[in-house]
Order: sequence, then structure tokens, then C-alpha cells
Amino acid sequence: MTTEEKREEILKKLRDAVIQYDEDVAKEAAQEALDAGLDANDAIFNGLVNGMEEVGRLFEAQEYFVPELLMCADALYAGLDILKPHVKKLDLGIKGSVVIGTVEGDVHDIGKNIVKMMFDVAGFDVYDLGKDVPLDRFVEEQMKTDSDLVCLSAMMTTTMVGMKKVIDSIKARNPNVKIMIGGAPVSQDIAEKWGADGYSPDANNALKDAINMISSLKKLKEEAEEKKGS
Amino acid sequence: MNDFLREALLKAGADVVGFADIEREILDPEISHLNRAISIGVCRKLNEDTLRLHASLRKKASSILKTNGYRYLSIPPVHENGKRKFIASLYPLFTHRIAATSAGLGWIGRNGLLINPEYGPRLSFSTVLTDAPLIPDSPVEQCLCGECLLCVEHCPAGAIIGNEWSRDNPYVELVIQDRCEIYKKNMRPVNGRSNCGLCINICPYGRKWISK
Repeated sequence: MTTEEKREEILKKLRDAVIQYDEDVAKEAAQEALDAGLDANDAIFNGLVNGMEEVGRLFEAQEYFVPELLMCADALYAGLDILKPHVKKLDLGIKGSVVIGTVEGDVHDIGKNIVKMMFDVAGFDVYDLGKDVPLDRFVEEQMKTDSDLVCLSAMMTTTMVGMKKVIDSIKARNPNVKIMIGGAPVSQDIAEKWGADGYSPDANNALKDAINMISSLKKLKEEAEEKKGS
Repeated sequence: MNDFLREALLKAGADVVGFADIEREILDPEISHLNRAISIGVCRKLNEDTLRLHASLRKKASSILKTNGYRYLSIPPVHENGKRKFIASLYPLFTHRIAATSAGLGWIGRNGLLINPEYGPRLSFSTVLTDAPLIPDSPVEQCLCGECLLCVEHCPAGAIIGNEWSRDNPYVELVIQDRCEIYKKNMRPVNGRSNCGLCINICPYGRKWISK
């Protein structure tokens, strides 16, 4: 066990490493967290993810640009790689499995990758199909993995129409699958019209949405633990 | 800032360092705020050791820029190198040769490679883009291969056309890539080498470094 003071110090170091996009410090701090006997989940959520929340804010305030955002994400992953093997599987009563990819004809994957990262952090099993993914592959992969969430990304108006086909196809087979769509040309309106369950216009919002999702996961987790305790 | 950076990089093992004004070269909005490039050349075979040296040089430049409150994007010599990173999605937005020619470190030779007057085509490059107000070096405007056609004449694949690059016409076709690739692929079972490199070895510029 470790003192509260030591815990705070390590969490701050993890947080700052992400904000300062410093991979070396992120690795170092992650190792310190393990050595000090910190819970890996604690280190991830209250250290790394906490830092990424601030990065989201800085990005929104245009203090950070895309290169900084991506470097921060790399720093988060550097720490996550070390902590993840030590994470106890979250028991949330939901199956965390998601299929994600950028649709056919489209090679823009920054937003997709950031959303993917947040799912990784949240402990989901992520099936990343990459970019320029044939539409049928989403349907196949969802069925194969029995995932309950599918995330589609498109950056161009010409490619985004493919998302509707995937939504129709998946919903026809399994109406319970949740589908999130994202990318510059997408709007709330389109999401609703096409029958998507969620949407996000860019990497920044995707990040915020993913953070919201993780926050609610965090809450669920705390509730689950409280119940266990009482 | 200029002298300090240059000195630090040369001392840390770089063979050539140049600064480029790339305002007119950057088209992508995600990095359009970065209007200077630091071009870092190393004269070694592009193996693991060289990549490590490149990494430490980029880290040096980045940390100096960061300490002084500037933004940067650090691009390694080989894009597909090592594990996948988020930042790697921005690497293809800028090429080392634009940085190097704009920084006055050389021109693009008939063989399609960057030719430095001292080291010839034997340098590998890292680039660090930044918004630091570095004073740019003068670019090299055109091909200085002169009458030399050695690489054109000796290319075993007949892939080098013999055209001349200039900064005003940077995308002129110099090498028929298909011919080069097919030749290398066909020769692999014969000589067991995945690369040819004749157009590097034959270049009279920087020959003295061959034994190194």
C-alpha cells in the first residue's frame, strides 16, 4: 500500500506527462505507480485520463493544435501500455466490445483513432478495422464479435453516405446494436435521420463524448463498488 | 536561437543542420502554423544506430523548442518505422527533401536523391517543423549536377531519366520508380540484397565519405 500523499504525487505526474506530451515521463510515472502499489485503474483514470481531459480543454481553447493533441495521445498510450496488463477487468454489467473504423473511400483516421483510444482506456475490447474499410466489413465484424457498439467515421461528404448503408444493414440484422457516427460532414440531424444512436463532428467533440462516456463508466464502477462494499 | 540550436545539434552528432522558411510549402491546415523547418542530416548508413542518433537529435531540437515555448512537429527519417503512433498520421504531410532544399543543404539530383555538396547523396534526414522565428538559410534553387550523367548512365534498371530538378519545378519526374522497384525485386533472389544503391555510390559528390 501507499500513502495518500505518494498517490497524489504519482497521479499528478501521470496527468502532467499527458498534458506536457512527454512519453518518457509518462512511462516513468506509470512504472512508479506500479512500484508503489497503486491500483492500475486509479492510475489510468485519475492520472492519464484526467490529463487527457485537460488536453481536451486546451484543444478547445485553441491553446493546443492537432500535433499537440496527437502527441498527448501518444504519451497517454505510452503510460497505458505499462498499466494495462495490471488492470482488473471492470465488472460493469455491460459487455464492452466495439467495432470501429473509417468507411470505404476515406483515409482520414485521426478522429477515429482518438475515439478508439478512449475505448481502449475504458477497457473495451476494440476491433479496429482501420481506414478505407469496405462497408460489408463492419457488418461482418459486428456479427463475428457480437459487439454491441459500432463506431463509423467519415471525413468527406462523398464517403459519409456509406455510413447510412452500414447502419441500415446492421440494424436490420440486430436492432439492439448501438451505432455512433462521426466526422466533419456529419450532423445531429443526419445522425437522427439515418438512425444512428450518437454522433460527433470532429476529433475534439469525439474526445469530449468519449470522455463523457468514460466518466459515466467511472460512475457506474464506483456504484458497483459501493454496492459490493455495503 | 539559430546559433544555439545549430551548435547543439552539431555537437550532438548531426553532420549538417539547416533552417528553412516553409511558409509557402505548408498547405495542410493542421500544421499551417508551423512555418519553419529544421533539417537535420546524418552521414551514415540508415541502420538502427543511425535511427537512434536521429531520434536523439530530434529530441534535442524538440526539447529546446519546447523549453522556449514554441510548437513543433518532429518527423523521423522513415515513416513506417517502429510502433504505430498517433502523431505518425501527420508525418506524410511534409517531406524531408523540401525541408533540406529549402534550408540550403542541397538539391535534388538527377537520381532523385538529395545531394549535399560535401556529403553527396549519403545523408539521411530528420525534420522538425516549428513556429519558432528562426532566421532561414538561403534555399538551393536548382540542380547543381552540371554535366554529370554518371547515375543516368550506370543505373542498371535504366530508371533515371536525366531530368533536372529546380525549386520552381519540384515535381519533375526524375526516376521511373516502377523500373527501379522491379529491378530490385528481380535481383533480390540473385544477389540477396534488397537494395541497389548504385546511384548513391556512383555520385562523385561526397565520394570521400564512402570508406566511413
